[in-house]
Amino acid sequence: MDIQRLKPHLPWITLVVLVAIVGFTDPGFLRPSNLLGLAGDIVPLFIMALGLTFAIYIGGIDLSAQSMANMVTVIASVYLASMGAWVAVFCVAAGFLLGMLSGYVTTRLFVPSFISTLAIGGVAFSIAQWLSGQRALNMDAVQRNETFGWMIGRTWGVPHELLIAAVLVAICLFIERRTTLGRALKAVGAGELAAAASGLNVARYKILAFAISGALAAIAGLLFAVKLSGGAPTIANGFLLPAIVAVLVGGTPLTGGVGGVVNTVVGTLIVAVIRASMLYFEIDATRQQMVFGIVLIVAIALTIDRAKLRTVK
Amino acid sequence: MTRRLSRETLIKWAPLLVLLALVIFFTALNPTFFSLRNFARIAIASAPALMVAVGVTFIIVMGSIDLSMEGTISLTAVAFAFIFAQFGGSLGGMGWIAIPLVLVLGGAIGLLNGIVHVKLRIPSFMASLAMGFVGTGAAILLTGGDIVKVSDAAFRGLLTVRWLGFPLMVYIAAFFLFVAWFIQTHTTLGRNFYAVGGGEDLAHASGLNVTRVRVTGFALAGVFYAIAAILVVARIGQAESVTGSNFMFVSITSVVVGGVALWGGIGGVWNALVGVLIVGVIDNGMVVIGLPDFVQDGVLGLLVIVAVVLSTDRKMVSFVK
Amino acid sequence: MYQLKAVDKKFPGVHALKAIDFHVERGEIVGLVGENGAGKSTLMKVIYGAYQPDGGQVLIKGVPVRFANPRQAMEKGIGMVFQEQSLIPNLTVMENIFLGYEQQFVRFGVVDWKAMARAAKAQLAKVKLDIDPGMVTSKLSFAQRQLVELAKVLTLEERVKGDLVILLDEPTSVLSKEEVQLLFKLVRELTTRASFIFVSHRMDEVMDLSDRIYVMKDGAVVDVVARGGATAEAIQHKMVGRNVDKQYYREHLQAPYDASKVLVEMDRVGLPGRIQDISLKLHAGEVLCLVGTEGSGREAILRTIYGMLSATTGQLRIKGEDAAGYSPRHAVAHGVGYVPRERKVEGIVAGMNVYENMTLSQMKNHSRGGVLRVAEERALARDWIKKLSIKAHSEFADCGNLSGGNQQKVVLAKWRSGGSDIMLLDHPTRGLDIGAKEDVYDMIRAMSAAGVGIVLVADTLEEAIGLSHTIIVVKDGRIQKQFACEPGAKPTPYDLLHYMI
Repeated sequence: MDIQRLKPHLPWITLVVLVAIVGFTDPGFLRPSNLLGLAGDIVPLFIMALGLTFAIYIGGIDLSAQSMANMVTVIASVYLASMGAWVAVFCVAAGFLLGMLSGYVTTRLFVPSFISTLAIGGVAFSIAQWLSGQRALNMDAVQRNETFGWMIGRTWGVPHELLIAAVLVAICLFIERRTTLGRALKAVGAGELAAAASGLNVARYKILAFAISGALAAIAGLLFAVKLSGGAPTIANGFLLPAIVAVLVGGTPLTGGVGGVVNTVVGTLIVAVIRASMLYFEIDATRQQMVFGIVLIVAIALTIDRAKLRTVK
Repeated sequence: MTRRLSRETLIKWAPLLVLLALVIFFTALNPTFFSLRNFARIAIASAPALMVAVGVTFIIVMGSIDLSMEGTISLTAVAFAFIFAQFGGSLGGMGWIAIPLVLVLGGAIGLLNGIVHVKLRIPSFMASLAMGFVGTGAAILLTGGDIVKVSDAAFRGLLTVRWLGFPLMVYIAAFFLFVAWFIQTHTTLGRNFYAVGGGEDLAHASGLNVTRVRVTGFALAGVFYAIAAILVVARIGQAESVTGSNFMFVSITSVVVGGVALWGGIGGVWNALVGVLIVGVIDNGMVVIGLPDFVQDGVLGLLVIVAVVLSTDRKMVSFVK
Repeated sequence: MYQLKAVDKKFPGVHALKAIDFHVERGEIVGLVGENGAGKSTLMKVIYGAYQPDGGQVLIKGVPVRFANPRQAMEKGIGMVFQEQSLIPNLTVMENIFLGYEQQFVRFGVVDWKAMARAAKAQLAKVKLDIDPGMVTSKLSFAQRQLVELAKVLTLEERVKGDLVILLDEPTSVLSKEEVQLLFKLVRELTTRASFIFVSHRMDEVMDLSDRIYVMKDGAVVDVVARGGATAEAIQHKMVGRNVDKQYYREHLQAPYDASKVLVEMDRVGLPGRIQDISLKLHAGEVLCLVGTEGSGREAILRTIYGMLSATTGQLRIKGEDAAGYSPRHAVAHGVGYVPRERKVEGIVAGMNVYENMTLSQMKNHSRGGVLRVAEERALARDWIKKLSIKAHSEFADCGNLSGGNQQKVVLAKWRSGGSDIMLLDHPTRGLDIGAKEDVYDMIRAMSAAGVGIVLVADTLEEAIGLSHTIIVVKDGRIQKQFACEPGAKPTPYDLLHYMI
């Protein structure tokens, strides 16, 4: 079997194999309620990964996603009382605008995206600390349930987070497959110079990709804040690594152009199963970061398109 | 040609001017800023950051980037604390053995980092970021999330023993800065960093073993991170899995703000020093004039962007990812 | 002393070198001339070890050798002075000279800069360059850098036992007349130390410097001329002379263009360092060919029309409208299509399928409110696959996996299906096999008949002459001469060469 032809199928094969192994050793794992719960828990992470998919799809990276989510947890907690449901709009807009800023700095000022997003992440972190007064904040429980309670309930045993995730996947999938934006992003990721030579406004599309990434990171932060009923400037720390891992093990390479939303769904499920299995096999939770770091290296090495990198720096 | 030269001149002198301006600015707002005691405070805070910045400078000069410092520092700091305790927990006894061992460990982590980057052909920012996560994970594994105290008086002497107003650790940092300068200017390795950063293909065509230079560079950076780790432990008297936190942002910011071009080939350890001092002065100055310290990350973030923009020759870059 | 015997080199679809016999004697200066694509650069790469020959032998003093890489060739005394300069700008002159060979100056791990400076000084003396070896290379002038490069290659003298062969690749292209004379004087003096292979497209210089001249055409050596053995004209005829089949370029299909309809007009357009004072008119149905050597400004003119470069002086009008400040997006909106030379990098997006590539430049035509009508796109692609007989299993085929000819058809279909009526073609037949080339010629004729104005930068002079209504010769960024090319009264390649070089 040709490895190149097998490559696009590796992610879901990995997922099936992992589920089979864990399910075989622990039959309780495969109970629908357990699987649903597992999937529901990973939704905030998934939404962040979904956003990162866009940044990585065009061959960039968004290292600000985690700080963005942190900031949003704070914004949501601080302004829920005064703005009510509008705070959600405010949060997403903030994420979108900061993402746009990263995109602008990357494309117009020629700052590599890993630096620009790191820097914008620093800005977001400052805002979070400033708004929160460097404390952990709590939402008013009654008000939270009134405004955002619908986000975290269950209907017929299905966590509402999953429904939110499904809606977002549908939207992102539509963007990716059916809109000029999605097509342009694919062209930019697969062959930026050809896209430019075809008369596309490459810079605008790249800025939009970072903006979408920022907006989704904000939604992830919002959902997280609602789940925890509060926010803090470091509350979402630890999201970035698994989110990047989810995108990459899903099969969207760091070099961009292939993969996409569906891949990230599969990738996130792989991350969820790895996490769950570590619990079942009684691998200390503290080792997770190490495991994910190694998984990350393996995933990059397997997916990256070396023909696109003239020199690897 | 002239444009290039003027840019080079700017990169060379602008950071130093910024540093001077900052010192004048903060002194004007609060004269106590300009005192030996306060300078010592800045120096203590900057010493570990300087070692990290110097390490990553070598990498950036090669045109690569290393984001593994947080993990490397945490792991080496924790390892140092454990080994130090194992050998009697005192510098007076056999505890000193921990120092060379930890330097070797740092070098080994860097070596691994470089090998993953070069041999698997993964872009350095991602390879090193992932390795950093592994390092932090390993540190958590060792400590189980606990804090390891290092309270040996002799060792803490690095902080407590002062000479001309500055503690010993500042002199140690200065010494290693000098070593780094020596490597940069007087060894083949140091010069080869510049060759790789100035034109990797050309260097390769001239018969340079670029792979080896890169891997060695990462190992060298690892050693400097380990030195930083030891200095941090000396400063705060403990090691834990978050000891390395925030060093990534601070060190990269420092190096870039100091005038080391992200594209490689330009700048050196003196730029790292100036950059670290700029960041240190801003940190310290904000506290001295009574601004909340959380503004720093935002200010530094913006400063980085400005520095990168200034140091980028737009004519040379067709597009950026 | 150095000899190639029946050396062969093949690339997929191209027979780049055909049984080349070549030799250089000690102290000799050998010239190497040929048109672009004649195989000069491939031959050089074989000589300095970047390519390995597929057949034949490389002999040094009669002993067969084989180089896996340039470094091995260097160790046998073969050095290359690159056209695109190979010095690292941020290093000092001496560091560049001894890059990769610093070990001789290292004592106990420390570089002895003084010793290196002394040694560098000695090397620089060989090329009569009196500069401080500690200077940063980027501060040198172009000519000085060329000499440093030569000095660097001459370090082989101390390192290698035996004789040196030094390749000079277009060393004079950016030098002034005086600098060229100095360089030539130096090279002649240096023949006591090394033999030279001199590659240039400036015929007078090659004739001036070389003891013998190898003339290449189509991957073969067609003649070897001793000093004074032939005139420049005779050599040039050998470079280009070939029987052109009029049918091949579809000359019988060439119809007069519509002189009343001007699509593109350039009026004294200039871009510092690239082009100056360019004035031309492109009419509907006209094939206008820009002819010149590499770097003469042909590509810059194309890219200026496309909006990728913006002119600083003069006026560019597209269909009567002032096109100053256009980006490619605006140009595309005004019906300009661009077929770049680097087909795989700028032409098609590998990884995207046929219909995605075809509609990339015109997504607006197939979408509403940003939502694509994919069924329509697919129908369009199927249509054009049939029209141009593109060999792809379906509209879902990844363009990266198509053959070069079919990729080019996709690129042309991209613009034609979007209704572009100003086509900029940069080497549209580069790297294609003969059948695919003929397909492209057919398409050019068809477009021309449909009233499309075409600006063409052709791969060879014959192609330019065969296809065009009008030829404009460009040299050093300026228009030298304009030729009308009516069928039966076309200029000869030699007529053009005369103005090109």
